[in-house]
Amino acid sequence: MTVVGKSWPKMTNREEFRFLSDVVLTRSSAEHTIVSLRDHHAGTTRFANNQVIQNVDARRGVLTVTVAFGGRRGAASTTDFTAGAVQDTVARAERIARVSPVDPEYLPPPDPCSFPVRETAKPETMAAGPARRLEYTNEAIGQCRMENLMAAGIVSSSTTAVGIAANNGLFGHEYRADARFSLTVQAGDATGWSAAAHRSIDHLRVQERTLTAIKKAKGCREVQELPAGRYAVILEPSAVAGLWAWLIWSLDAKAQAKGTSPFAGRLGQVIVDERLSLRNTPEHPDLLGEGFTAEGVPSSASVWIDHGVLQQLAYDRFTAKTQGINPIPTLEAPALSVEGLPMASMQDLIKNTERAILVTNFWYIRPVNPRELMLTGMTRDGTFLVEKGEVVSAIRNFRFHASPLQAFRQITTWTRPLEAVNAETGKMLVPAMALPDFHFSSVTRF
Amino acid sequence: MSSPTWDEFADLALKRIVASGAEYGDIRIQNSTTEHIEGEDRRIASINDVHDIGFGVRVLYHGAWGFAASSILSLEEVPRVADLAVEIARGSASIAIEKVRLVPEPVHCDRVVTPYRVDPFRVPLEKKTDLLLNVMETLHRQEGIARSSASLWARRDQKLFVSTEGAHLEFDLLAGQGDCTATALYEGRFASRSCNTPYLRTGYELIKEADLQREAIRVAAQAVEKVKAPAVDAGQYDLVLDPEHLSLTIHESCGHPSELDRALGYEANYAGISFLTTEKRGTFQYGSPSVNLVADNTEPETLAATGYDDDGVQCQKWDIVRDGIFVGYCTNREVAPKIGELRSRGSNRADGWAHIPMVRIANIGLEPGSATVDQLIADVRHGIYIEGHGSYSIDQRRYNFQFGGDAFWLIENGRRTHMLRDVIYHGITPEFWNSCDGVADRAARRRYGFITCGKGQPGQSGWMTHAASTARFRGVQVIRGEGRS
Repeated sequence: MTVVGKSWPKMTNREEFRFLSDVVLTRSSAEHTIVSLRDHHAGTTRFANNQVIQNVDARRGVLTVTVAFGGRRGAASTTDFTAGAVQDTVARAERIARVSPVDPEYLPPPDPCSFPVRETAKPETMAAGPARRLEYTNEAIGQCRMENLMAAGIVSSSTTAVGIAANNGLFGHEYRADARFSLTVQAGDATGWSAAAHRSIDHLRVQERTLTAIKKAKGCREVQELPAGRYAVILEPSAVAGLWAWLIWSLDAKAQAKGTSPFAGRLGQVIVDERLSLRNTPEHPDLLGEGFTAEGVPSSASVWIDHGVLQQLAYDRFTAKTQGINPIPTLEAPALSVEGLPMASMQDLIKNTERAILVTNFWYIRPVNPRELMLTGMTRDGTFLVEKGEVVSAIRNFRFHASPLQAFRQITTWTRPLEAVNAETGKMLVPAMALPDFHFSSVTRF
Repeated sequence: MSSPTWDEFADLALKRIVASGAEYGDIRIQNSTTEHIEGEDRRIASINDVHDIGFGVRVLYHGAWGFAASSILSLEEVPRVADLAVEIARGSASIAIEKVRLVPEPVHCDRVVTPYRVDPFRVPLEKKTDLLLNVMETLHRQEGIARSSASLWARRDQKLFVSTEGAHLEFDLLAGQGDCTATALYEGRFASRSCNTPYLRTGYELIKEADLQREAIRVAAQAVEKVKAPAVDAGQYDLVLDPEHLSLTIHESCGHPSELDRALGYEANYAGISFLTTEKRGTFQYGSPSVNLVADNTEPETLAATGYDDDGVQCQKWDIVRDGIFVGYCTNREVAPKIGELRSRGSNRADGWAHIPMVRIANIGLEPGSATVDQLIADVRHGIYIEGHGSYSIDQRRYNFQFGGDAFWLIENGRRTHMLRDVIYHGITPEFWNSCDGVADRAARRRYGFITCGKGQPGQSGWMTHAASTARFRGVQVIRGEGRS
């Protein structure tokens, strides 16, 4: 790795990775050798109580060498890219492989192929530094100060050089960059929240999202308590994403084959509302698609749920081989859509609702019963009662107890797919949705 | 020419910081080695040997923080990173209103080394893979077991902390853990049962003494019993919770709310804030008089007992809850003075060289009481005995929680009877701890810990140990974790 300029690191480029991987492949005496690179440079400005509390910049380059002798595999990694350290890493991987038991699921590296070239690294994001992050931070804090509110949040940007190479000729390298903004506005005891993640730092829309979080917080000042029970709900995109993230993580062919999946025996069956479709769309400009996976498999567009019917599971390379199909990586750029005419906006969706709980976001979602994909979690940062097409009051946060496989069996109204991200999920495109029946199992104190 | 020593790199960074006019700065240089062997379904699925070296420079300039880090430890990179940390701190200072003031700490120069009998990195790899394969084979010998896993983990951290105040601390720390899990299938249902050693700062003797091979027989049999067990009937039960289970309950419902940075709003955008607000200190009835929760970062072998934290503050022991009253927080040098404390509690930790330290939960444990576990159970007419960890979730102020477990037994008329499945209990933190009416004695005390405690943006993994004796809680609401809820 080389360093240029006064304060900015230069990430490992394609030629440098080619050189490093050639060093590894030349040194390795193994039957199969794979070299992986993750050279990550990220900065985050974190603020709370209208003050910067952390302002950090870190660069970590990791080179991982995986070798195999006749199905005996070993892996070693290092953050030290000097010749001696790289050589030592190869030796460590080989040492492990030589004494490892044969892995019955071992497969040689994937065949070389040309990976799709995607716009994964926007120059404006790669060039963003502490000054740009501070500018956005100042904007969010400034707006909150003017309203006599407290801002807490982050502005971050990162660039990662990712590479994979193998002794069968497999080679890939790409830069990936992303920027994130999230903001919690505190109005006394009330909170409002908004967040964004994008390949381009220019698309974070900090001012607009700050106003959204401010509006939510101000709307939560007067809170009433409703009893736990079953309610119609309007889920904003972040709340929808929180539930669908768990559904997506469970779409695993190996677990299904072993009988430990909620989808055992359900491939080809209707699992959610028949107007819902889930696709992987790595080329979508608002999603964080990638050219290839960590295993060296190219990413591609695919349909996972088609009109409610489960069509696709993620197949690791071994499970795919046993089924005689190509491996299918899990979705890295999920897009959920609804067939039919959407509401023009969130406001229209609310206007068309007789009575429902409006949920801004969910927090701490965890599985309760993986077999049924039963989940629990809390509402957070803006939970409201909607009556006769209007938000009538904020309400105390609920704990929910629900399976997305039940909750999304029937949807009432929806918007077009919108950008969604929350603290516990990746970026998705999902509609806001109204659901007729959702179980809130208890109420908290705020 | 020989490579510069860590001390020479540190000196280089600190000179730049002092020359910049910053009032404080420190550097942490760390070399971590991790070995993680994972078995799955009778095979060794992965063996990873990770070497992670780098350094982080922290600067306090005109009352504002800057931090920069890099994995390139070189004569060119150290000054670049030190200067970048200063530049970032200057930017922070440009919009700062309230200045950071660090509470004083004596200057320490010391070396901390984890005592151990058997170095896990010197145990032949074949011996470790053989153990895991044999454990998984044992699990599968039990009829009804469909899946298995087993793993061993070991980590060595060599670290140097040097500050502009003169602190010079060297660390050579070790930690380890092992576990196995069996998953049973029955009539379309599946259920898992695990055996986990605690994460402790000790050598491979931890794994030898755990005897995973013997435990695998019990684990597999209980997985099958669990999957065939009747589902719990929802209702109110008295709960008797074992130390491993309590470690998570303590962590989530006492540990996180007692982090002062959370109480002050620092985590408002991510992990959340705390219902234990500062005016409650000294008066709030957190639990019943049986509840004494003590932070002890001095107990040997525990994860947070590192001698000194990443502020260079000596590890300490203090009360969080005494006789049921909330009395103390976990603090660092930045937040301690905000509540008038004259010294940090020494709970400022980063998860490696690449991250800035922040307040982390200490080794908070539940102090033993006087009963035996049998006595606790004998006084329960209608209850559930719970072991291990399962589903868990808690709100962003740590009031409303919901926990599952790894294994459940029905208690009827003072006797532990058959297993149950799908047990979930929920409550409100202070109500729950006020329902505690008995804690078992020191003989029942066990220590369990976590290395994956998520907090901060960018996210970091905190390490801490929670010791407890089995404890009893009255009238807790239990629901069934299956079916249409």
